[in-house]
Amino acid sequence: MQIVDIHHVSRSFGSVKALRDVNLSLRAGTIGLVGNNGAGKSTLLKVLLGLLEPDSGEGTILGCDIRRASRELRGRVGYMPEAAALIPMLKGVEYVSFGGDLYGMPHREAKRRAHEVLNYVGLGELRYRRLDEYSTGNIQRLKLAAALVHDPQLLLLDEPTNGLDPAGRMGMLELLEDLIAETGKSIILCTHLLGDVERLCKQVVVLDRGTVVRAGTMDELRAHISGRWAIGWSGDERAYRAALSAVGVTFTEPDETGQNGVMVAVPEGFTTRQFFEIARSCGVVLTELKADEENLERLFFRVTAQEVPVTA
Amino acid sequence: MDFDQARYHGWEDRRLQSPWMACLAIVRVALMQVFRNKAYWVVLALGSLRFLAFWSIIWAVTQLPLPEETNNVFLKEFGFTAGNDADQNNGYMRFMEGQQIIVMILLAFSGSLLVGSDFRLRALPFYLARRIDRRHYIVGKLLAVSSIIMLLTVVPALLLFVEYGMFTASTQYWIDNWQIPLAVLAFGLVLCLVNSILLVTLSAYLQRIVPITITWATIFLLLGSLSGYLRRATEDERWRLMDPWWDMRIVGRMIFGSFRTEVEGELAVWATLLLVGVCSVALVALVHRVRAVDIVE
Repeated sequence: MQIVDIHHVSRSFGSVKALRDVNLSLRAGTIGLVGNNGAGKSTLLKVLLGLLEPDSGEGTILGCDIRRASRELRGRVGYMPEAAALIPMLKGVEYVSFGGDLYGMPHREAKRRAHEVLNYVGLGELRYRRLDEYSTGNIQRLKLAAALVHDPQLLLLDEPTNGLDPAGRMGMLELLEDLIAETGKSIILCTHLLGDVERLCKQVVVLDRGTVVRAGTMDELRAHISGRWAIGWSGDERAYRAALSAVGVTFTEPDETGQNGVMVAVPEGFTTRQFFEIARSCGVVLTELKADEENLERLFFRVTAQEVPVTA
Repeated sequence: MDFDQARYHGWEDRRLQSPWMACLAIVRVALMQVFRNKAYWVVLALGSLRFLAFWSIIWAVTQLPLPEETNNVFLKEFGFTAGNDADQNNGYMRFMEGQQIIVMILLAFSGSLLVGSDFRLRALPFYLARRIDRRHYIVGKLLAVSSIIMLLTVVPALLLFVEYGMFTASTQYWIDNWQIPLAVLAFGLVLCLVNSILLVTLSAYLQRIVPITITWATIFLLLGSLSGYLRRATEDERWRLMDPWWDMRIVGRMIFGSFRTEVEGELAVWATLLLVGVCSVALVALVHRVRAVDIVE
């Protein structure tokens, strides 16, 4: 099921083009929205939420027109903002039920649901505390509860692990994993922490300067970006190398895979089956064949044409 | 059936209300915010002193066996008359005018809490990411401020009217003065509209309590003093229009039909137009502000 289907969406603020001709087609599931600061993530999120009308382009989110049905859309989407977005003097349960009231839930229902979701996110015992007594980690959980109160189909999470210590971040990621596993809700996770996306998301959208530079499943992206394979074989090495070179496979030197294998980059349209066919014709046996294990961080730096930072 | 609290449960009953109902939720939460602050109770207590004084006076003149003349003097001394008197005083009008000082103080401190914090703590997306839009947010906040104003002006004035009628032991007072509650409501509406629009706009831009209080005081005290100075210096009564407080009072007197001087009657229309103009500009600025924060985050 398609949850996001937008075409040629652009949005400018004065002379700044925040989104340029964005085309996105995303299936239900967990989607990571990554990009540098100023890449247009928040603007895209607001367009997806129906808060911002695009200058041009059209599309649907959960079947709702992004230009005409923004209120209906917001009733089906839960948004967890990046900022604290707290309301002074309120208690946790009041904050969450107020969120439900604003969605249009009857007040009694909103209150009942507030207790339920606060228990679910692990704030059951803190629900009668004032918001100024909550820690950063608990505020993040509280905002998640407020986004869940009306049981939305799609959750838009803007930097849900921002500002959390390692334990808090782990707790939040476990909570989100549990939510995904238990409810099957679709989630769009907007973050600059690529590790979070790698852990939670099946699909990734990489934004750079207002443009979608890559979008697809993690597997698709890895294959598309690298087209790199680690292969190893036993038999006539020279013949196999020559046969592979003849079909456009290039060998990455020096050998990166270790003892008996090499890293190769395949041309477009090359299938894994061809490795076996060529090996058979050369009389060699393939002993290793695996896709390059490029992580999201490397992928991100590659597609946004930035230098990979050197780590100690 | 066991209900496992640690697990996620969907919401079965998916009936949603009109987004306008969210305005009431905004009012409810705003009042909750105000009444949880002890400092506001002190101001509210001060605000109820005048009400208690007027309540006691009404009780005294209707229940104590005093001669009619003494009663009238007593009432006049305390500035309360049950209707328009020969000097064009109206007790309810005077009560509401008097309450304005405490209303202004309370509002100066409320602006930051009720509206400024939404901008300062970036809570606007909390509202606008839900099924309401800017209209509902703005109307909700205006109603929230208005409810505080009504609590200190309209509600006690109506209670005094009811009290006076009850202590006269007949319904004749209520029947004879049926216009008074309408005038109280109309004047209350003017106070609510003008003050809430100005305060919400000011708080949306200034956000913090100190700048809001300083600007609020400038509008209602400095402009008043300046208008008085210019009026005396030029002997031109039209300078009075500079004072928004006076403008509201004059509109109120127009509603109650209790102008004290001819000039007041002449300037009442201009005062009304001026208030409408200022409120319109403030409303446009407010809509613009709510829109801007939504985009530039």
